[in-house]
Amino acid sequence: MENKKVSLGDRYAEIAVILITVIALIAGWFYKSSVENSSVPFNVESISAQAPKGWLQSEPSGDELLRTTDRSSSGFNTTYILRDMPLAADTTASQVANLLTLSHGQDLLAFRVLDQREVTVYGKAAYELSYVYVESNPNLTHKNIPSVVRGMDYIFMNGNSAVVVSFWADDKNYDLDLGRFLLFLQSITY
Amino acid sequence: MTESKAVHERKHVWRNEFLLIISLVVFVGVVYVLDGALKPVFTASTLLLTGVFLALVPAAIWLVFFYMQDRHEPEPKGYVLGVFALGALFAAAIGVPLIENVFRVSHWIYTNTLSTILGGILVVGFTQEFLKYAAVRYSVYPSSEFDEPTDGVIYATAAGLGYATVLNIQFVVSNGGVDLGTGIIRMAVVALAQASFSGITGYFLGRAKFESEQVWWMPLGITLAAIFNGLFNWLRSNLSQTNVSLSGASANPWTGLVLAAIVAFATTGAVLWLIRRNLNSVQAGK
Repeated sequence: MENKKVSLGDRYAEIAVILITVIALIAGWFYKSSVENSSVPFNVESISAQAPKGWLQSEPSGDELLRTTDRSSSGFNTTYILRDMPLAADTTASQVANLLTLSHGQDLLAFRVLDQREVTVYGKAAYELSYVYVESNPNLTHKNIPSVVRGMDYIFMNGNSAVVVSFWADDKNYDLDLGRFLLFLQSITY
Repeated sequence: MTESKAVHERKHVWRNEFLLIISLVVFVGVVYVLDGALKPVFTASTLLLTGVFLALVPAAIWLVFFYMQDRHEPEPKGYVLGVFALGALFAAAIGVPLIENVFRVSHWIYTNTLSTILGGILVVGFTQEFLKYAAVRYSVYPSSEFDEPTDGVIYATAAGLGYATVLNIQFVVSNGGVDLGTGIIRMAVVALAQASFSGITGYFLGRAKFESEQVWWMPLGITLAAIFNGLFNWLRSNLSQTNVSLSGASANPWTGLVLAAIVAFATTGAVLWLIRRNLNSVQAGK
């Protein structure tokens, strides 16, 4: 059998293979984005949002309206929390941030505030509180290393209440999951 | 080299492929039975080392058969090992980071049937099959050692087993070791699947070099291998699905192994038949 050298036809075939692979990967990327960004409508107490599809939604408790968790995240499962906090008249966003800081400090292990500031989120005035804490399984026989979790709260003042949107993600996944959270944040109306 | 030589003297290539499948299934059975009977206790480090050792077994079995039987028309061992290493390198440097970190397939691929199939073909299938193709195409393919169509299958299998070895080591390391019984089944499934789909790419590579095929020939080969890859993963995930009941959860990894063995036999048989048919038609043409 003749052992022919790599020909011009081989070169074209080689380029065609690269092209078809690139096209498949681009199509795969678009498909991935459509699956990851697919959502289900959520509507409670005149607050509506587009919650991620396929995430686990926990039974709301206290002032929480929605708690949804991505069970497929590695380490700490990425979680969004939507709360409607009733407030006394004349309460400011920074006071709400202080309340949240105290509350997180009591509930979360090794809680530390990283930053807090006034921001504008998709045209709406908000107060941003970013922090970090450690999530450790309370079961002492559990062998997993505790996870470092980064959190971000957005506080929107809404008359006599504050709409608080929280984003919790494993430190390793935080930046990767932030884009999806911003879509959720953008979808919130009240 | 004559075509008849290629048909008759390279029978050991196919014998190696079939022996790999049978040996892996037997090896898995032996490890599973021993694990159940002896119930060995491991420390964290010995569990990890055992897992890494087991990850190397499928490739070692194939290479041993290959060395023992490839005497009449030997392929340079350095080339075979080199392509194996290149397949492993491409998997570790490009394939695994691209699939796991860039596409993050574990986050979305099992959302529903369509995403399992499309993600499995477009992302996992094309990435893996292209890298295995590249390991052969940009190393041994232009050389004079790649001197007959069957060489495509040999070298692509080596690349596929290199890729599978890295997938298995990555699985062991990321889990801090594996349960011997189910772990060895998973490793055999990955090795059989990667070797089988490589066989398809190898067949197309072999013909692309020795016959004036159309420009779409090689893209067709990669696409077919990627489709089989994606469909296999979907079928495996369906068949091995975890059953959850009040008494706990259970998964059946054996169905995955049976499926992988059937796919490996069918793919190898089909590629063997295609190569023989092709060589016969070349002979008849002369």
